[in-house]
Amino acid sequence: MTSTVQGVGGGSNGQNGSRGDEYLSSLRDAKPHLLHSKTALWAKTISAIFSWGIPFLITAIASFSVLLILLYMVKDSLPFFFEEVTVGGEEALRFSTARVAEFFTHKHWEPNTGEFGSLAIFYGSFMVTFCSLIIAVPLGVAAAVCLSDVLPFWMRQTVKPVIEVLAAIPSVAYGFFAILVLAPLLQNQGGLFLAVVFWAIGLPVGLLLVAILSAMLNQALPKHLRSLGKVVAPILFGLIALGLLYLGGSALYGVKIPNGANAFNVSLILAVMVLPTIVSVSEDALQAVGREMREGAYALGSTRAETILKVILPAASSGVLAAVILGAMRAVGETMVVLMAAGNAANIPEPFYSVFAPIKTLTATIAGEMGEAARGTPAYYVLFAMGMCLLVFSLICNLISEWVLRRQRALLKGA
Amino acid sequence: MDLGTRQLIDRYFTGLGLIAILLMVLALVVILGPIFLTGAGAVVFRETVNRRVLHLEIFNRGNPERVTEEWVAVQGERQEVYDRLNAFNSELMKMKFSDRQQYRSDFAQTQNAVEEILGPEMEPGTMPADLLSRRPLTHERYGETRWDKTQEALHRLKYKTKWVSVDPSKPMKKTFVPRAETFAGTSLESFFPWFEENLDRFLRPSWTVYWRYWFMNSDDGFRYGGIWDEMLGTIYLTVGAILFSVPIGVISAIFLVEFAREGWLVSTLRMCISSLAGVPSVVFGLFGFAFFIATIQVSENRSVLAGSLTLALLVLPTIIRASEEAIRAVPHTFKEASLSLGAGKWRTILTVILPAALPGVLTGIVISMGRAAGETAPIIFTAAVSQGSTPWGWDFLGESTKCLPFSAYYLATAPAHGSEINYMRYGMVTTLVTVVLLLNATAIILRAHIQRKLRG
Repeated sequence: MTSTVQGVGGGSNGQNGSRGDEYLSSLRDAKPHLLHSKTALWAKTISAIFSWGIPFLITAIASFSVLLILLYMVKDSLPFFFEEVTVGGEEALRFSTARVAEFFTHKHWEPNTGEFGSLAIFYGSFMVTFCSLIIAVPLGVAAAVCLSDVLPFWMRQTVKPVIEVLAAIPSVAYGFFAILVLAPLLQNQGGLFLAVVFWAIGLPVGLLLVAILSAMLNQALPKHLRSLGKVVAPILFGLIALGLLYLGGSALYGVKIPNGANAFNVSLILAVMVLPTIVSVSEDALQAVGREMREGAYALGSTRAETILKVILPAASSGVLAAVILGAMRAVGETMVVLMAAGNAANIPEPFYSVFAPIKTLTATIAGEMGEAARGTPAYYVLFAMGMCLLVFSLICNLISEWVLRRQRALLKGA
Repeated sequence: MDLGTRQLIDRYFTGLGLIAILLMVLALVVILGPIFLTGAGAVVFRETVNRRVLHLEIFNRGNPERVTEEWVAVQGERQEVYDRLNAFNSELMKMKFSDRQQYRSDFAQTQNAVEEILGPEMEPGTMPADLLSRRPLTHERYGETRWDKTQEALHRLKYKTKWVSVDPSKPMKKTFVPRAETFAGTSLESFFPWFEENLDRFLRPSWTVYWRYWFMNSDDGFRYGGIWDEMLGTIYLTVGAILFSVPIGVISAIFLVEFAREGWLVSTLRMCISSLAGVPSVVFGLFGFAFFIATIQVSENRSVLAGSLTLALLVLPTIIRASEEAIRAVPHTFKEASLSLGAGKWRTILTVILPAALPGVLTGIVISMGRAAGETAPIIFTAAVSQGSTPWGWDFLGESTKCLPFSAYYLATAPAHGSEINYMRYGMVTTLVTVVLLLNATAIILRAHIQRKLRG
């Protein structure tokens, strides 16, 4: 043993030679018939089990744990949908359509007194998801376009970490910001905040619209008026845009927000949290479109904006759709921000679009009421029913987004 | 459209994209800025003499002789405050009843505000610890310990809040009335500016870097001390999650890359893994409770073990994906060379492929650690508590624990004195975000290193 170690370590020729001789002699002594014996077959099977079977088993456990999760959500939510009834002196469980109907269509959520109408909670989840996507999708797609087609390489390398950091910040930190910084700000200076945000977004968009509209107007004019139109049209439209901005801004300035913990606050924060997902998935989709299409569009004389809007975005539309779906999934599943800053009121706001009303979402209900619900009561099982709804929603979203992405890949390959 | 307009629109379009990116950067700065600025105050701040005495008596830190000496000296200085207050009190006693009524409640408020800043009045030569039987709560014995909070208390001393109704239809407005005005014409009028001027003589503020914030337990409802309990709990949960998920994740990745042949089985496995990545975190929490605690009963109730297992499940897809990518990136020639030298498949994997893929696998592990450390929803029902102490010893697996994200959530929403301990809760979130970002930075650096190596 020692000599072998030395032989390998020292690497002297003599010792290596003697090792080779040993190996040859051992080959000579080997009994070929052993390979076909029963023992060898056993050894082969066992080694196959160890080298293939166990890794396969572990992989299967890891992968199918999602099915286990689904199983447990279903198993623990079933008692909520079943009722104990006495049929002929025997107690039996019967599927209760009344419970299901109450759960999905009623608005009264009082688990302590046995009212489990979760419509308002479902609506709350829908509302914050919808609002956050309204904010995040245009921003995210614009940023993705900018990242993939506009920025030079070195700037892309500096912006990418920003996105990664936004994605990495723990959700409890976002919730912390929402409830301790943003909520007081909205409550005390809500109007000012809204007006500033409105101007910050409205001004660049307004300028773009003015440019497009005045160009369109100019084309409609007869030729001898065009030189005049070039000056007058931008001024005219600019004044209109400024007026609209002023009106909108001052209307928003007058808004008083009674409670800073509301759907608007949460939607803003969720939008920031969803942005990284939307940006990175749609950027991948835009990158996948490929050079040829871009070069083709440029060769036909289109500008960069036209190339992006008329060629690349349509080609990548399904990828962008996948990004939106994944974003929605993240927004629906987000817990801590809505638990901390959504106001926790299980009501449908009056009117239904009023974003400054406190709401409650599925995730916040689960996280907030799991501690109080006693095991084995309907108040406990109903939370699992909500969990099941969340899980099924995310699984469906996941399947759709994968299908969409695969289809886009196939389409692009075909083109 | 003519060319000029098209170019103009093109430029504006570029501008819009840039604005979107700027907004993203702005969001990052706006969110992290206030958290970090306030959070830094947990470690770097001006402490008052009260805090030095508190740390000597409660945490046994500091030089006993020097602190005691300083305390005696400060008590001497403070005597003048009490003399002036007592002088006014006897003045008050000599007044007519109607005049006395006018000043009484204001005087009581003034006394309270002074006590809030300096701590209760005590006999010369006694220490705050001697008051223990009379005032069992720590914060009632020591007064203000931080200079920034002293300024807030000073504002409460100098001004009294008054709710003024300007218009009966609107809510009342909060205004501040200088307290000196209410005492106009009495000996106490000059007390307020004098007290403010001499405040640093009574409190002796000095800059301090409290690095022990990370290594001390908290005391008296998170008012004093640090966040060691929470740090320790976070370390338990994170390391536990990694210990459970890394072996399973890496073996799964090896199987998926090296053994599995593409087919319906493998695509199903992959689909399941990507679905697992999309499960909402609160559902992991529900599952963790229903499975690990209610069904297989790894523990009676919340425990480090149940929490780690839940978090392990949560980070599993990340680890599998990162390891898969890393193993796939190992050049084929490595594997072929090893196989042609006579090494078996597993020997090749363990001695050639895994070492070559190690940086990539590590990247995945580090990112997963960041995720596990920051997740709150899965551990609310499986591991975390807000009160009590974190177990320190071998039996910690079956015990519930405090941890950073949950305590940050608790302090941000639950306690009534939350705004009094801003430095504590902001410091906690700052620590958590810093840890997570450092882990992610490590991952980014590792990835850059790998890319450089792949490029040659």
